[in-house]
Amino acid sequence: MALLQLQHVTRRFDNGQEGLSDVSLSIESGSMVFLTGHSGAGKSTLLKMLIGAEAPTTGRVLVDGSDVSQLGPRQMPWYRRQVGIVLQDHNLLEDRTVFDNVALPLRITHLPTKDIARRVRGALSTVDLSDKGGLFPRHLSTGEQQRVGIARAVVNRPRIILADEPTGNLDPYLSRQVMSLFHQFSDLGSTVLVASHDIDLIKDQGCRILHLSQGALVQDTAAPPEASR
Amino acid sequence: MAGDAKVRDGLVAESALTGERPKGGRLRAWFADHSRVASDTSLFVSQRLMSSFLVWLMVGVALTLPGLLWIAQSNAQTFNQEWQGSAGLTVYMKLAASEQLIDDMEARLNRETGVERVILTTPDQALSDLLEQSDDSMFLQDAMTAVGSNPLPASFAVVLNDGRSYLQLDALSRNLSAQTGVDDVVIEMTWLERLRDLSDLANRMGSALSIMLLIAAVLVAFASVRLAIESRLGELRVLALIGATPAQMRRPFLYFGSAYGIGGGVTAIMLIAVFLNQIEAPLRSLLASYRAGIDIVGFTPGFLLAILLVGWFLGVAGALLALFQRGGADKPPS
Repeated sequence: MALLQLQHVTRRFDNGQEGLSDVSLSIESGSMVFLTGHSGAGKSTLLKMLIGAEAPTTGRVLVDGSDVSQLGPRQMPWYRRQVGIVLQDHNLLEDRTVFDNVALPLRITHLPTKDIARRVRGALSTVDLSDKGGLFPRHLSTGEQQRVGIARAVVNRPRIILADEPTGNLDPYLSRQVMSLFHQFSDLGSTVLVASHDIDLIKDQGCRILHLSQGALVQDTAAPPEASR
Repeated sequence: MAGDAKVRDGLVAESALTGERPKGGRLRAWFADHSRVASDTSLFVSQRLMSSFLVWLMVGVALTLPGLLWIAQSNAQTFNQEWQGSAGLTVYMKLAASEQLIDDMEARLNRETGVERVILTTPDQALSDLLEQSDDSMFLQDAMTAVGSNPLPASFAVVLNDGRSYLQLDALSRNLSAQTGVDDVVIEMTWLERLRDLSDLANRMGSALSIMLLIAAVLVAFASVRLAIESRLGELRVLALIGATPAQMRRPFLYFGSAYGIGGGVTAIMLIAVFLNQIEAPLRSLLASYRAGIDIVGFTPGFLLAILLVGWFLGVAGALLALFQRGGADKPPS
């Protein structure tokens, strides 16, 4: 069943340029899909539409059958709580500890403190940062900061994980580790969409690859029958 | 790096699933959220104590003048009421005025509209009073003997039963002065009326100034909260990204506004207290010279609460203005 759908989506900016041009695609629930293309191809624009940060000029962006661009200010937060987002520059809060950064999505859901602590410990353990909870982001390496960002994205166990260039600042070894984590979340039922321009990294992941060029979907490569990781 | 089992242990076994509601209910969660925001606000303010202190000082100074004006008005009303009872005229007859003329004047004054009572002081009574009140009555007695006759005139103290304006009293005074046998008419309220007129003028100017200062207080809170928003823009965007509601994103800044406003109110109270303490002694001395005594009223618990509430209101108004002006702060990061 298709969880994410784009139907003839075009996004035209104020300067007349098209970020996306008549893109149609659908992504099955629980699958892991890569979105690739050169810088400016429209990867980030597509992800922004999926989190409701941008609306299509024409067409529809559907998540589980609902049009994201039609969600009102009251509904949007509840939708975003079901989406875990990983960004290249982490967007960690520098004045909060690693623990507090990961706890943010749980705190806004009014979860009791002891439940928050248990879940944050679980998420940090998942990304191998159990002993770093009390540190501030500036005390961590770039790879560790990226893993904190991933922990924050998945601590709420979202239905959808969107990652925009999550390995952009990482070396090949750390990049593979991050990809391994995404595979594991996908295996647990999350739908994972990773935008990356690192074609060498993603071609070995055994996943479907969507190729964008100048805002248009130019290639849709299905996952091989025997996916190797 | 974590393997499959670890992911399951870390997330699934820890029930990190969406859709679960807090066990304690919405109210407890709401209080917990406010408590956390209040704690964050205290931390934010304490980490920037110097700039917070300057904001409190600015808001406090802006609140001080309206507060002082209110106290001044309260005291002016009390002062006026106290003096209202003694409003009236003193009519001095000529030394040569006959008893008939004095009787006629007394009858005329009693017929006058608005006159509550007329008290006649004969020349003998006036002399007797003078001697009683004098520190050196023997010397006065000798002087009177040397003069040979009583140099004091008969006079009428005219007490009015309503709060006539100075202009009406002045018209009555002129009318009486023109009567036969009348030497002089003194309006007792002259200085008070002039003071009242000046006070009215000062009140109007003060009210206009107060409004401007209250607007300034809102703008100070606005600018401070605006800076707080700018300094936490990254946090706001992350909060938007992870699904914080608009109310959750606004809440910290409304707390900042409240902290700045209430802090400004406390500062204003301290400034007003210092000011009143400084003027109390010279004011008493001034009033004593007019044979008047008055306690400064108005610095009551109700007044203190009102200053705090006004400060809080202005702070929140400034915060709302800043949030309205910075409407796009909740956009997720690109």
